[in-house]
Amino acid sequence: MRIIVQKAKCQGHARCAAQAPDIFKLDDDGYILLGDIEVAEGEELPASRAVRSCPERALELTRCAL
Amino acid sequence: MATNPVPDHVPPEMVRDFSLFTSPGMPPTPDGDPHAAVACVHDGPPIFYSRYNTQDGRGTWVITRAADQRRVLRDAETFSSHRSIFSSILGENWPTIPLELDPPAHGVFRSLLNPLLSPKRVLALEPAVRERAVELIERIAASGTSCDVMKDFAFPFAVSTFLRFLGLPDDRLDTFVGWGKDLLHGDDKERPVAARTIVAFIDELAAMRRQEAVDDFMTFIVQAQVEGRRLTDTQVRGIGVLVFVAGLDTVAAAIGFDLAYLARNLKDQQLLRSEPDRIPLATEELLRAYPPIQLIRVATKDIDFEGAPIRKGDYVSCATMIANRDPAEFACPNTIDLEREDNRHAAFGYGPHRCLGSHLARREIVIGLEEWLARIPAFRIKQGTAPITSGGHVFGIENLILDWS
Ligand code: HEM
Ligand code: SF4
Repeated sequence: MRIIVQKAKCQGHARCAAQAPDIFKLDDDGYILLGDIEVAEGEELPASRAVRSCPERALELTRCAL
Repeated sequence: MATNPVPDHVPPEMVRDFSLFTSPGMPPTPDGDPHAAVACVHDGPPIFYSRYNTQDGRGTWVITRAADQRRVLRDAETFSSHRSIFSSILGENWPTIPLELDPPAHGVFRSLLNPLLSPKRVLALEPAVRERAVELIERIAASGTSCDVMKDFAFPFAVSTFLRFLGLPDDRLDTFVGWGKDLLHGDDKERPVAARTIVAFIDELAAMRRQEAVDDFMTFIVQAQVEGRRLTDTQVRGIGVLVFVAGLDTVAAAIGFDLAYLARNLKDQQLLRSEPDRIPLATEELLRAYPPIQLIRVATKDIDFEGAPIRKGDYVSCATMIANRDPAEFACPNTIDLEREDNRHAAFGYGPHRCLGSHLARREIVIGLEEWLARIPAFRIKQGTAPITSGGHVFGIENLILDWS
């Protein structure tokens, strides 16, 4: 599972990192780091929770490994 | 009051008799539930016109769907946030910063301020916040089995946390709370006096920090450079005033509404007391249910929005309490479900102006509830008393007498 990060949409709510701090890394201002995220097996649940908590819709789940 | 003429370009059928200031449940109401009262707009159209919907009595378009609010709040080019909300009270015209700057100028100041209230920085502030909560609640617990949460806990806790962040001493706390009350809930005479007082206070503080630097927020601002230049006096004032006002009322109101909910819903209260790990998630749901702020933007050009002929200069309201009860976004929006997971609420706004203080505010609420529930046994609203709630630009709760005898 992979998470597509639309960095331009991120406004630094930090809700993703609150749900899954190990998966979603923020910069010093609290905005998500650039680059898509590969989710390890077994971490799908917190990862998808985090995606569903982003108020700006900056995160998107995809199941195909492009 | 609600008798402003409808502007010529607004089709009469798009006007609705709704106002965050004058509709039922919005003026001060004993045992009111102003957030639930506004949810009725979701039975109507996605956008309509309200003739009286700002603190200074102006009409606004009202956007009801969360998705449409996101469109407005992300498009700062069309929907500007510069409306001199504060300085117009004084008949002046300077922006509070960063709230009333549009991109790209907004981003410059936002980047300057972001590190001061980042999730990391807030983590470092937490021990002092918790210590203050414990101190206040232990005093309450030791002195009886009843208290006014607003006066004895929510305001002193929120405001002193915030004063500490600004680098100001606690001893004038009551004075500051009074200024905030007059500014946000006062009448046409009280508001300009409060605004003038706050400006004078911020100007004086800035002057003191310019003379003698200390390790605090205001010193940081007067020393800061943006694009190679020191900030002007008006910029320093614009930042100081905003940050001062933003932290005065909002966190206290949130804690008040949250504890009022728990006092009326003993099962949820017991659940959070016995399983405090649930408090962070529950706090998000309470932020969804009881957000305090209405956001306003000004159209910079004519635009047709979902069938509404918005004209340059029109005000557009994006009320967080309305977005947060949108059935298209939240299952059973009027049910408070402390275990709700799909919860992309708008309490802190959307887009570039997303609340700068959100990470601090959130932790204050979580810590406040944790320490309260750990120290105060099953509590209810004291018999014979009624919390007085109000709508308006910032929703509020005046008093909350709890009893745990
Ligand atoms: C529960 C408490 C709070 C709530 C619900 C809240 C809500 C909001 C909202 C909705 C906005 C967006 C306004 C707009 O777009 O027009 C905002 C902006 C802002 N808030 Fe808060 N706020 C809270 C606490 C705080 C605190 C404690 C501080 C300061 C320490 C703060 C500082 C600010 C600032 C500076 C802005 C302007 C940001 C910008 O324009 O980029 N807020 N807040
Ligand atoms: S939740 Fe969304 S907006 Fe917030 S930090 Fe994460 S990606 Fe950015």
